[in-house]
Amino acid sequence: MQFTVNIERWNPEAEQGGVHEYTVEGPETSTLLDVLDVIKDTVDGSLTYRKSCRMAVCGSCGMRMDGAAVLACKTPMAPLVEAGRVPVISPMGNLPVVKDLVVDMEPFWDKFRAVKPWLEEDDHPPVKEWRVQQEELDRIMKEALCIQCGCCVSECNSMASDPDFLGPAALAKSARFVGDVRDRDRKGRLEAMNGPHGVWDCTRCYFCNERCPKGVDPRDAIAKIGAEIYSEGMLSDKGARHAQVFDVSTRATGYLLETALVPYTDPIKAMDIKFAMNLAKAGKVPNPLRPHRAKKLDEVRKLHKLLKKQEAELRDQKRAGVSIDREEAGS
Amino acid sequence: MVRHDVVVVGAGLAGMRAAIEASRYGVDVGVVSKLHPTRSHSGAAEGGINAALGNAGEDSPENHTFFTVKGSDYLGDQDAIAVMCAEGPGDIYELEHMGAVFSRMDDGRIAQRPFGAGGAPRTAYASDITGHVLLHVLYEQLVKSGVTVYEEWFALDLVTDGERCVGLTAWDLLHGGVQGIEAGAVIMATGGLGRIYRGTTNAYACTGDGMSMAWRAGVPLKDMEFMQFHPTTLKANGVLITEGCRGEGGYLRNAEGDRFMFNYAPNAGELASRDVVSRSEQTEIDEGRGVDGCVLLDLTHLGARKIMTVLHGSRELAMDYAGVDPIEEPIPVRPGSHYHMGGIDADMWGRTVMPGLYAAGECACVSVHGANRLGGNSLLETIVFGRRSGAAAAQDVRSNGAHAVFSPSAVRVAERRIRQLLYNFDGVRPHVLRDELAETMYENAGIFRTAEKLDRCQNDVSELRERYAGGLGVVIQDKSRTFNSDLIGALELGSMLEMADCLVAGAVARTESRGAHSRLDHPDRDDENWLKHTLTSYDDGGVALGYKPVTITEHQPAVRTY
Repeated sequence: MQFTVNIERWNPEAEQGGVHEYTVEGPETSTLLDVLDVIKDTVDGSLTYRKSCRMAVCGSCGMRMDGAAVLACKTPMAPLVEAGRVPVISPMGNLPVVKDLVVDMEPFWDKFRAVKPWLEEDDHPPVKEWRVQQEELDRIMKEALCIQCGCCVSECNSMASDPDFLGPAALAKSARFVGDVRDRDRKGRLEAMNGPHGVWDCTRCYFCNERCPKGVDPRDAIAKIGAEIYSEGMLSDKGARHAQVFDVSTRATGYLLETALVPYTDPIKAMDIKFAMNLAKAGKVPNPLRPHRAKKLDEVRKLHKLLKKQEAELRDQKRAGVSIDREEAGS
Repeated sequence: MVRHDVVVVGAGLAGMRAAIEASRYGVDVGVVSKLHPTRSHSGAAEGGINAALGNAGEDSPENHTFFTVKGSDYLGDQDAIAVMCAEGPGDIYELEHMGAVFSRMDDGRIAQRPFGAGGAPRTAYASDITGHVLLHVLYEQLVKSGVTVYEEWFALDLVTDGERCVGLTAWDLLHGGVQGIEAGAVIMATGGLGRIYRGTTNAYACTGDGMSMAWRAGVPLKDMEFMQFHPTTLKANGVLITEGCRGEGGYLRNAEGDRFMFNYAPNAGELASRDVVSRSEQTEIDEGRGVDGCVLLDLTHLGARKIMTVLHGSRELAMDYAGVDPIEEPIPVRPGSHYHMGGIDADMWGRTVMPGLYAAGECACVSVHGANRLGGNSLLETIVFGRRSGAAAAQDVRSNGAHAVFSPSAVRVAERRIRQLLYNFDGVRPHVLRDELAETMYENAGIFRTAEKLDRCQNDVSELRERYAGGLGVVIQDKSRTFNSDLIGALELGSMLEMADCLVAGAVARTESRGAHSRLDHPDRDDENWLKHTLTSYDDGGVALGYKPVTITEHQPAVRTY
């Protein structure tokens, strides 16, 4: 089968780049990585990209195809040929380009290290394993699937505007420990994620979920941390207070009280008259004296109750699940 | 020039475990790896890690030892095997406390499943991504330990003071340039060489670099002829489908739908040892009962739920790379090169004949696998002997204390060599030789070997080495210094050719069939003449053969059937 791709090249030494078209032959089962290999071997040995396992587990070959991050080794090429598509291959976003499709991963690993990505445990030498229910581990298995390829970070809209945002990969890693019943620093982790550049800075665009090649769903992981922070009553961050307005006002009226939203989330911002006027002009400030009220408010409250109950049950289950026998496992 | 008390080369499971252990002794540790640690091939291990925890059925380290000795076709050193099996459970508990998400039994203890020829349900696992889970857990611990990691530094040569290993040279891939790394002790943990074969489960990075470094430095390699072929790999690209599929009850069928394994291993069937299953599959295929060069791995009777929970990763791989959903239909599989039992001759503390040089993991041959490795024992080996070599190297440095004498000329020599390679404009592209090597190894040094084929292979390999001409026979098109993966490919080819030469030399000489080394012209095991380890040493660029005895303690060699 004949494969044609456009590759965005960059040679840092000559400071030259540009999009080049390549056409090569390969078996029908070829992945994008296979095609790049044929180009490198037979057309241009200077074409540069990372690779290793070619089975979607090492996380080396993240790159963009037509502007969206993929693992080259997990991307079959025949469907593109059949659809008559000639894809543009470019390096991942949000990370500095080193050469061709290779990016500098150091900023990525800086974030990884920033979330203290290890299980905090007591220092006793282990005698036996902790007893943990499978259901407990199932709750963090999605996050544990992460191969740190960077595809989510490449597509993160929040990181594009705030490079200091911890980002989907590091936050998913953090969620993996927040949810681990064996970890002894849950509170500390939540506090660290609750500050600037933490979970509340996620714009909820869901690009990370969409582009993750392993089904980690980083946005869901971020939401899990947010929920834990909120249920701990840690409301120091605007993001947490923002969430609280939704909770309180829907319970009170069945609707969101827009007029309370800004003052409660960010009192200082609420003093910004120009901002308030603009909101009012856009019809975002309904009369605070006559708030909307849902017709079936009791139904909404029932829903709230149900959610609270489920949350409590989950928490109880969790406590029951930690049948960690410290004496047996760690004495 | 950088300096550390202990330098670990390679950052897979063995390397990281060694580094973590060494750092616990308070010595200054550095890790050099051509890949970022989490990109290492250990992460591709799927099925699990063996240890006689006895959670899922009665078991003991002694039992584990016996089945490992038998699996090795009695070529494994029994003292080392006993150590691995005795210390295994403690190491598993430690990994669990580091945070490994091992799959659980109903009572919350670590679940275990049977693997081929193990004799008990002994394989602890994290779904079917055990290697991935352990690799990331050890990386977490490595980050916590504060060990310095030199990522994407390609190790070039060991540096000695004539007697002791005092460090190494490496090429800094990202920035370009040779770096000298001075070390009180060096631990090689660079993994295997599966890429010398066409049709392999191994990553592109598995090119035998560390073994060839040690070999060139004069350290003998042991039992190089023993290459394991895994019975269940995908046709298109050799990707591994875990033995856990058979451990969970999967069947192997031929074109006629028969579960043929019972014709070859009447008791164990699909769960015979890997060498036995691979030979049986190849026989079925060769005798015309295959399906398009494959046999069929049938999981359909296991049901969607089981497949989705404990074999989730295998399903994903089958769907991605074979276009088959194993819930609906069987997966076509065939044997492929998978694991290299041989390696740098090391003792059970990782010590080699060269003072200051240690080795652990697949690049080493402590000889716990002998002529055939049991599934689940390789991850265990990386952890047990990674830990032990880390401890031994750290203690070595602490007791020796003397500063190494690292001659800066080593860096200059390496720089000159790289320049020569980069500015050579006459020759073939590296992939030409690489593909020819992989082809002749597959055809002539594969599952079934004969004198005739091996001779042909040996000639091919020497011819390829001549054409490679120390790297001056190949043309590197990328002339830049920044992230020059073309240069790395050419250097890896050098390692592969040297290691293939050693492998074939051992195979030509060994006129018997034992474990994974199966000679059609010498079909029987010959304990009288061949119950010994092969040593292949560097001899002016060529391979010199030697031998050393096998350590037998409790288990006298017996007929091996499954």
